[in-house]
Amino acid sequence: MIKIYGEFGPYLSQIKDDVIKKLAILNQRECDNNSTKLYEHLIGRVKAEDSMIEKCQRKGLPLSPHSALYECRDAIGIRIVCNFIDDVYRALTLLRAADWCEIVKEKDYITRSKPNGYRSYHLILKVTTPYPSVLADTAGTYFVEIQLRTIAMDSWASLEHEMKYKHSITNSKQIVKELKRCADQLASCDVQMQTIRQLIHEED
Amino acid sequence: MRILLAEDEKELSRVLVTAMHSKGYSVDPAYNGLEAVEKASQGVYDLMIFDVMMPVMTGIEALKKIRAAGDQTYIIMLTAMSEINDRVTGLDAGADDYMTKPFSLKELLARLRSLERRSENYTNDILKFGDITLDSNEQRLESFNSISLSAKETKLLNLLILNADKKIDSDILIAHVWENEDDLDQDTLWIYISYLRQKIQAVNAHVEIQGKKGGPYQLTNTSGGESNDSKVSL
Repeated sequence: MIKIYGEFGPYLSQIKDDVIKKLAILNQRECDNNSTKLYEHLIGRVKAEDSMIEKCQRKGLPLSPHSALYECRDAIGIRIVCNFIDDVYRALTLLRAADWCEIVKEKDYITRSKPNGYRSYHLILKVTTPYPSVLADTAGTYFVEIQLRTIAMDSWASLEHEMKYKHSITNSKQIVKELKRCADQLASCDVQMQTIRQLIHEED
Repeated sequence: MRILLAEDEKELSRVLVTAMHSKGYSVDPAYNGLEAVEKASQGVYDLMIFDVMMPVMTGIEALKKIRAAGDQTYIIMLTAMSEINDRVTGLDAGADDYMTKPFSLKELLARLRSLERRSENYTNDILKFGDITLDSNEQRLESFNSISLSAKETKLLNLLILNADKKIDSDILIAHVWENEDDLDQDTLWIYISYLRQKIQAVNAHVEIQGKKGGPYQLTNTSGGESNDSKVSL
């Protein structure tokens, strides 16, 4: 199999870990400032080479490191899973203010969920690293996709993922409808928890 | 609509069944109170029409038995013109309405249409106000996004939409939404108002519930367009 990330492949996992460390520092700073923790957990992954090859083919891109790292910008992905909706927006505010990254794209699927019920906040971060990168004039630049969501949104996405990859579902139309209804109910719980939390803190 | 008709006068029963059939209703005739109770316990009906004076078991007795079994179907009693006591007893025993004999077929059919309107249009309602849509059956609020509502939130928003742009006192909201619950106070109402506010925000709508803790509350359109376009869509 071809190495679509080329000579840059080995750096990707390192960059992922570096960004996770930066996020952990943000979290620690929040905890130190007597605030609640920013997120419940973080997970990161480097997109498998065969998935990236498949994606580039689907988009009609040449199979090159340039396509995999610049045209597609999700080779490195980190998911920030928060307890509450407010935490998602708090993390967003901190990332916008952070000096070690620049947000180059935002997609808010929380206020406007996808038709199937998917909710999440997607960001593309541009980070500068000490590692060589594809273009000489953008020394050390890499892109990282961040997905911010609540635990409820995360569980839902796992369930939807299971359905998508099981091809032989007999009553898929009903399942799709039920998944959507479930997404609306989880959103209802998320908002309810957030409201209760605000009512508690009103009395502080 | 499926109708159970209990009438012991065979000729009158036949006329009523024919008339209701011709309007598309499905009618099961019973000829005494006991038969009516048996049919009611087995079938599902949208309406029952019982004559009071019947052999074997009277309409009043049948009505009492049916209500005692937990059946809440709408029931119309047919009473003789002079028997005020029958009407009072019937209504107190759980009847929803009565008609005095002799009655006109025209009036009976008009009552059936009225009942149909109430059961179909007023309970399956989808309400719109500004850029929000409330589906009370599905307990769902929609705008640029959708979210589920609890039963109480649905009732509360329903009332606010039907009375949009009016300042409504807390007591009125509590009385309508929490009907028979004694221990309900302002704090609970405030929590539900807060839930609804956040949910309206979560679906990205340009609609707002105005008012401080303690009320009164007012649903308003914040998009700057037509302010009162609430309507029942049929």
